[in-house]
Amino acid sequence: MSALLEVRGLMKRFGGLIATNNLDLDVTEGELHALIGPNGAGKSTAIGLISGELKPDAGTIRLARADITAAPIAARVRLGMTRSFQVTSILPEFTALENVALVEQIRAGHSFRFWREAARDRSLTDPARDTLARIGLAARAEVAARDLAHGEQRQLELAMALMTGAKLLLLDEPMAGLGATESQAMTEILAGLKRHTTILLVEHDMDAVFALADRITVLVYGQAIASGPPDAIRADPAVRAAYLGEEA
Amino acid sequence: MTLLAEQVLNGLQFGVMLFLLAAGLTLVFGIMGLINLAHASLYMIGAFAAAWVQGRTGSFALALLAGLAAAAATGVAIEVAVLRRLYARDHMDQVLATFGMILFFNEAMAMLFGRQPLMAAVPGWLGGSVEFIPGVPYPVYRLAIIVVGMAVAALLYGLIGHTRVGMLIRAGATHRDMVRALGVDIGLLSTGIFGLGAALAGLAGAMTGPLLSVQVGMGDRILITTFVVIVVGGIGSVRGALAGALLVGMVDTLTRAFLPGLLKSVMVATEADAIGAGLSSMAVFILMAVVLLVRPRGLFPAHG
Amino acid sequence: MVRRYLAALVAIALACLVPAVAAALGKPDLITLGTQIAIYAIAAAGLDLLIGYTGLSSFGHAAFFGLGGYTVGIMAFHAAGEPMFGVIPGLTEAWLVWPLAIAVSAIAALAIGALSLRTIGVSFIMITLAFAEMFFFLFVSLKTYGGDDGLGFRRRNAIPGIAPRDDVAFYYVCLTALVLVLALLHRVVHSRFGRVLQGMRQNPRRMEAIGLATYRYKLTAFTIAGAVAGLAGALHANLLRFVSPDMLHWTMSGDFMIMVVLGGAGTLVGPVIGAAAMVLLQSWLAQWTEHWMIVMGPILVFVVLFARRGILGLFR
Repeated sequence: MSALLEVRGLMKRFGGLIATNNLDLDVTEGELHALIGPNGAGKSTAIGLISGELKPDAGTIRLARADITAAPIAARVRLGMTRSFQVTSILPEFTALENVALVEQIRAGHSFRFWREAARDRSLTDPARDTLARIGLAARAEVAARDLAHGEQRQLELAMALMTGAKLLLLDEPMAGLGATESQAMTEILAGLKRHTTILLVEHDMDAVFALADRITVLVYGQAIASGPPDAIRADPAVRAAYLGEEA
Repeated sequence: MTLLAEQVLNGLQFGVMLFLLAAGLTLVFGIMGLINLAHASLYMIGAFAAAWVQGRTGSFALALLAGLAAAAATGVAIEVAVLRRLYARDHMDQVLATFGMILFFNEAMAMLFGRQPLMAAVPGWLGGSVEFIPGVPYPVYRLAIIVVGMAVAALLYGLIGHTRVGMLIRAGATHRDMVRALGVDIGLLSTGIFGLGAALAGLAGAMTGPLLSVQVGMGDRILITTFVVIVVGGIGSVRGALAGALLVGMVDTLTRAFLPGLLKSVMVATEADAIGAGLSSMAVFILMAVVLLVRPRGLFPAHG
Repeated sequence: MVRRYLAALVAIALACLVPAVAAALGKPDLITLGTQIAIYAIAAAGLDLLIGYTGLSSFGHAAFFGLGGYTVGIMAFHAAGEPMFGVIPGLTEAWLVWPLAIAVSAIAALAIGALSLRTIGVSFIMITLAFAEMFFFLFVSLKTYGGDDGLGFRRRNAIPGIAPRDDVAFYYVCLTALVLVLALLHRVVHSRFGRVLQGMRQNPRRMEAIGLATYRYKLTAFTIAGAVAGLAGALHANLLRFVSPDMLHWTMSGDFMIMVVLGGAGTLVGPVIGAAAMVLLQSWLAQWTEHWMIVMGPILVFVVLFARRGILGLFR
């Protein structure tokens, strides 16, 4: 098994604050890799750097062996990586189907087509319907995204991420703001997804993380202090110190 | 050489005038997130109030005071009545509403004072010229404007950098909600800043009177130049506004003064005049385009 | 869907009746008013592609309107006198001049857009305004073409089978142009390209995250809108047989923005309603007082504060 995502020596400073400090991270093909850490540990910054929204000060990022450290976001998506957002990020006025169909349209290539009506384009709507079905939203396809329940919106986001055809999904707190039942449902959806896709998951819901993750990396002050399977992480003294304040 | 020194001073004088306008505009944008076209109206109201009072009383000091007060009062009034409802709206709404205000104020001034330009005299005690650079006599009045502008810049620097209000201004620009959560009355702060910006615009208008004719719509053109200043300097930053204002003032003045002459050395005089005039009125926009190409966020962006 | 097409057909039919009504009432001015509305509606509909669909608040639309107009004016000027730079002959045939006007405006929009779209939000507003002002000054300083005073010409551009002095025929020409532009924009906003534009307005960050290189789509939309404004400018020049820097004045850009928002941004009917409302309101207020702007200004503030979705929004 080779590393699909390979991060080496990643650095990011904001003024005096070191948000990402010499971060190494390997995400292996097929695994669900969770990135956890206390608030302010630099998880979101790490996702921002990997997805290309932020530019690192130093270090390299490789996706399937290609160096993407300086690649623009669109190029990273073409290479097979996409992200979801902490705050629900959808196109509120479009229906669920239109949201996902638009992703398929962008994946399929350039959108310089000015004449044919996109809504009747089966080459867009058919795959979009399939993806919605996979994520459990088929029945809500024609509802405007802003009218969906919060949990459904998070599902829709996931469907959009999936529709990019990504080999690697960067999920930034998909459970944020969900109730207990909704979280449970989302955990099941992720469990289903991880059979097809490699996932880097940032999440505060520890039940979900330990239920889903194949491997976990713990960030503290922008630095990876431990990395390994859930059981090893649970027992790791450095992690216990960071989370529980125990002496390491 | 004499001419050059004189034109550089003229550029400086135009620059500080632009700064007085840009400072208020950029502060209001930086802190309240508002783009206010009616800033042009405040400048015009300041100029009209000053010219009118000067015509009545003959006192330039009273005129300045009147210009400042009229603009500040109008500014506070429109902030309380309309603009504060727009802080949370998108920029498009702000542009349209404040554009409507310009239409209103332009027409109101036309009804009050007519369409004929008013003239204001340079006050006696600021008349004449002084040769503070040997061989370059320069009007005292213009020199006074430069001094006032520089003093305002220094004052603003002190206010923003070294006072509690300044700290709130800086904090408010980046963390509006946080400042509110700490119990600061943002509404009052906003109104205060808006009044300050309006007063500066009024001051600029009042000082313009003896240099240019005071007329309806006089603020519109300089407003657009002020936008160029802000874009060049970096939006939201007072330091950028100062740098941008001086740069734009200088480029505008010097190209107008020297470009036609330079062109005459390479082409026919009449054509040189026409092309020179055209090019020099476009110069600041070309400057803006170049800055955009090199630094899309301006020379001194406010944050980061 | 069917009802919408029916409504559109009825609206077109009613618009076709304007000259007959004007004749019956003995008010030929109505024809000019109608022509003006059609022309402004074209420009505003193009601008709505930016404001309402893409979420780009362009404040420099008058530049492209004016460039289209000046293309017509300058070509007529050279057709009547010396060729341009001594080599380029003037033109008077509509089928040559109008596409040229569209092309000139499109190229200018491509250049201005390429620079302006490097920024977003309020900087974008200021920069588009500033570049339009630059073109305004350019034409003020071009004394050859009348400078401040503008440039008049004797005849409208020639269209085979239409008498150049026939105002009714010219009204129908402008109405046809409006219908064609609206039909074209209707296809565009419902196409794949249009989907992308609307996505960028709703959530630009998301669009980038799913792999869209947004810049080129914005630039294409900006260029299309500029081209459409160029056509409107060419028609306007023909209506008045006169062009002046007023066409590029910044308040003209403001007026186009108002038409879009007043009618209802993000729809194609909206700008048409906005243009009609604006022109009719102006001519109506101007009958009462020369100071009609003192009423217009507060109306605008009121619309922004309380009727943000425009006239169309009132009926929904």
